[in-house]
Amino acid sequence: MDLATLIFWIIAVILVGSALMVVGLRNIVHSAVALILLFAMAAGIYVLLDAEFIAIVQILIYAGAVTILILFALMLTRITGQQSRTNPTNKQWWIALVICTLLGVSIIYAATTSPHAVATVGSDSGQLPAGINNVVRIGQLLYSPTQYSFVLPFEIASLVLLVAIIGAIVIGRED
Amino acid sequence: MGLTLNHFLILGAILFCIGLYGAISKRNAIAVLMGIEIMLNAVNVTMIGFSFFNHVKPYSTYLTGQIFAIFIITVAAAEAAVALAMIIAIYRKRETVDVGEIDIMKW
Amino acid sequence: MVIAMALYQYAWAVLLAPLLSFVVIVFGTRVWDLLSRPHIAATTTHAEEHAVEAHGSEGEDYGEHGEDDDDDPKVPRLSAGAIASGYVAIGIMALACIYSWIMLLTSVFNRQSLPAGGIDVLHYDWFVQPGGVASYSIIFHLDTLALAMMVVVTTVSLLVYFYSQGYMEDSAGYARFFAYLTLFTFSMLVIVFAENFLVIFVGWELVGLSSYLLIGFWINKRAKPAELRPSPSSAALQAFVANRVGDVGFIIGIMILFANTGTFSFAQLSTAVTHIDKNLLTVAMILVFCGAIGKSAQVPLHVWLPSAMEGPTPVSALIHAATMVAAGVYMIARTFPLYVAAGPAAFGTVAWVGAITALFAATVALVQSDFKRVLAYSTISQLGYMFVGLGVAGSEYGPGLGMFHLFTHAFFKALLFLGAGSVLHSLHHATHREVQDMRLMGGLGPKMPITAITWLIATLSISGFPFFAGFFSKDTIINLTAERSDWGLYIITLGTAGLTAFYMLRAYILAFGGKGGSFGGLWGGPYRGEGQPHESPITITLPLILLAIPSVIAGYWFGFFDYIQPGAPVLNLSTILSDAKTWIGVVVALAGLAVAYTLYCRVDAAKLHAFVQNNALLRATHNFLYHAYYINELYDLLIRYVVLGISHIEQAFDTYVVDGIVNGVARLALLLGRDGRYVETGRVQSYMIGFFGGVAVLAVLVFALVTFGVGK
Repeated sequence: MDLATLIFWIIAVILVGSALMVVGLRNIVHSAVALILLFAMAAGIYVLLDAEFIAIVQILIYAGAVTILILFALMLTRITGQQSRTNPTNKQWWIALVICTLLGVSIIYAATTSPHAVATVGSDSGQLPAGINNVVRIGQLLYSPTQYSFVLPFEIASLVLLVAIIGAIVIGRED
Repeated sequence: MGLTLNHFLILGAILFCIGLYGAISKRNAIAVLMGIEIMLNAVNVTMIGFSFFNHVKPYSTYLTGQIFAIFIITVAAAEAAVALAMIIAIYRKRETVDVGEIDIMKW
Repeated sequence: MVIAMALYQYAWAVLLAPLLSFVVIVFGTRVWDLLSRPHIAATTTHAEEHAVEAHGSEGEDYGEHGEDDDDDPKVPRLSAGAIASGYVAIGIMALACIYSWIMLLTSVFNRQSLPAGGIDVLHYDWFVQPGGVASYSIIFHLDTLALAMMVVVTTVSLLVYFYSQGYMEDSAGYARFFAYLTLFTFSMLVIVFAENFLVIFVGWELVGLSSYLLIGFWINKRAKPAELRPSPSSAALQAFVANRVGDVGFIIGIMILFANTGTFSFAQLSTAVTHIDKNLLTVAMILVFCGAIGKSAQVPLHVWLPSAMEGPTPVSALIHAATMVAAGVYMIARTFPLYVAAGPAAFGTVAWVGAITALFAATVALVQSDFKRVLAYSTISQLGYMFVGLGVAGSEYGPGLGMFHLFTHAFFKALLFLGAGSVLHSLHHATHREVQDMRLMGGLGPKMPITAITWLIATLSISGFPFFAGFFSKDTIINLTAERSDWGLYIITLGTAGLTAFYMLRAYILAFGGKGGSFGGLWGGPYRGEGQPHESPITITLPLILLAIPSVIAGYWFGFFDYIQPGAPVLNLSTILSDAKTWIGVVVALAGLAVAYTLYCRVDAAKLHAFVQNNALLRATHNFLYHAYYINELYDLLIRYVVLGISHIEQAFDTYVVDGIVNGVARLALLLGRDGRYVETGRVQSYMIGFFGGVAVLAVLVFALVTFGVGK
């Protein structure tokens, strides 16, 4: 077992564990904290997959911004009278469990039995040209006006964000 | 044995199902939102996993999976912002964040 | 020869003549009449003006016969347009009548001028099915049979038109009446000229329509239950419906023939039917005969004809003599070759239905007290004779036998009806009431001499008194049944002849004679009604006189059978007179006359009445016959309980099953919507369960299928 595999397993266990904590903990603030852990561990997985830029973005946006947003929302919407159990489940939780189990089994079964178009084993060499690291490459892919790039979707994404900002303000405004 | 694509796909699947369970079974709207965030991250894991295990030139150099992940993160951020704004707005009107009580879409 | 051919070629003019007068009256004189009406004073409002126009639509106003308010409106004076309508109809019909007589005489005296098979005077292919499978053509055909019938139709029509001038002189709707009459004649001529079942059926239904219009002409008249008289409108409806019953059989028969031969044409059918299965052909021809049963008022569809007496008397004359009921007989004569091909079973049906009808109607006629009703039953009876004649004739005699009786009967029956109409007209003027009951007549002979004498002639003719027209045509039929050794038919027809003589003379005596009159009671006697009846005007009496002539001499056309079907036997006066059977018939007829004379001229009416009423058996028989075997009542019950019962069941089926299914589907959708909407809880998580649950089920299904190879 090489180091990468070892690290993967450690991170994966923590990741799944923190995910279970998010859905399982009774106090919703605890769940939110577990969510931070989850986001951080996901960032670790990304690093393992040579996606350094996304790992950084993950930390910044998810572990930073989104979690803070969620915590603020929690703060603003206190569930009265249920201090100890602020993260209850509804009556359909067992249906959800059945569905999720079925779906998970199906996906895992499909993933392990069906043939993949991409290789199943990774090789460290040759994904990127020499001298160009992941961040540079992402930058090229997002911004370059001359070579193959996603510049138009990127601009549209910025528009989506703008709409979201204005929408959030309008919806959340006190009137 | 080293890491294979299946490791990441199965990890993504498990995360997705946990997130889905959270999204369906939770009463608190913010917990539902957290479940959705988990699902999005699960998708990101599989996306980046696919990107990593792609060795076909020149497509492998386009890092399409990673770019997708970036867009998913963008959309997720926007979604989180709007969703939380809505939750707060509803809470202000109805004094509750219980998704089961919010049934204004019914018949 | 060429001239003669041209003469026949233009025979369609006769057909179109009444149609022309119909068009002229409807679009010409009636419109003129409406336009030339004096305008109502300016004070009336617009709406009132419309109302007035709607009521007096012929430009006539209601009369002031206050006491018989259930009568149709009378008018003091006809407008010029209305009178012109009558003149148009009479003038055009006179031309057509003259033309048809010329054609008849030409063909009689120059037999070769008209080809044996006749000629098509008008041929129009309506549409031809591709590949020549079948063609639907409108063909008008002229042959000797059509010519003989055409003469009857045009002559009787002309005289009835002329007569109607006088009879309808004060009736509202005068122009409308003439329009209907011309339509009636046209319809009948369509039948006469028809060369295929398609055309004859069109004419058939047209006749039904026009008879409906005419029987119900007095739309405002009410029923008189005490006299067993329905209202004209319901009588018209009854006639129409009874005919529909027969037409069902008729149309099925036509369809059977067409399905098996692919043609409607009589000429083509007569050769084509030899290939058809004989039993099937017999069934088809009996079904076709059903149409004739309805149209010619044979048992069991005779009920409409007595009710049809509610129409104006000229209409009755037209229906009974020339147009309506003759259509059935004519149709059988026209399809005679098909009956020959079908064989004795079809002929037997025709003959026996005719015989039973003849006897039945004669017995009913014995006791009727309504003047016109006696004549109605006598018509039914005589039509029975015609069917017997057609049924027993066989290919040797051809359709001439039945047609001959139709030919002579048309004249004396028209005369009888017009004479009866003359009496009713006169009594109406005398009493200002509608009198049809013979018990309120009597002794009218000296008061109305022309009517009485002509009526007596017709009575003798229909009774088969020697050397009158009816004697030849009827006795030939009766004798032929004996010659065919059909003793059942012989006895029935012979007995019916005696009954006929009895009830006809009875009617005559009740109306025109009575105990105490001259000639032993035959002429004059006590008048039992009110007022002072006197002879009708010339417009009424002239047709009577004109009809009296053929009522005597029409029987002397001894070559009639040969004329209709070349090669058929020619009658011979000496043969007839030397035949013992003839004298048996004469004796029977004379016996009938003698009994009638004894009972009604020699015996006091009151005494006779008392005698009948005091004997339980006689009284019961009298009632039974008077109500026409209670067949009307039977039908009433049948329809009320069976037909309406079935209708109710069907209605229930429709309401509960058909509607139930339709409404059930709707209710199901409603229920699904009403109860199913609770699926839509409005909670997002339920929708997520639905969505992802569906995904999970599909995923499991797909992988199960893929893995276990079901889909491969």
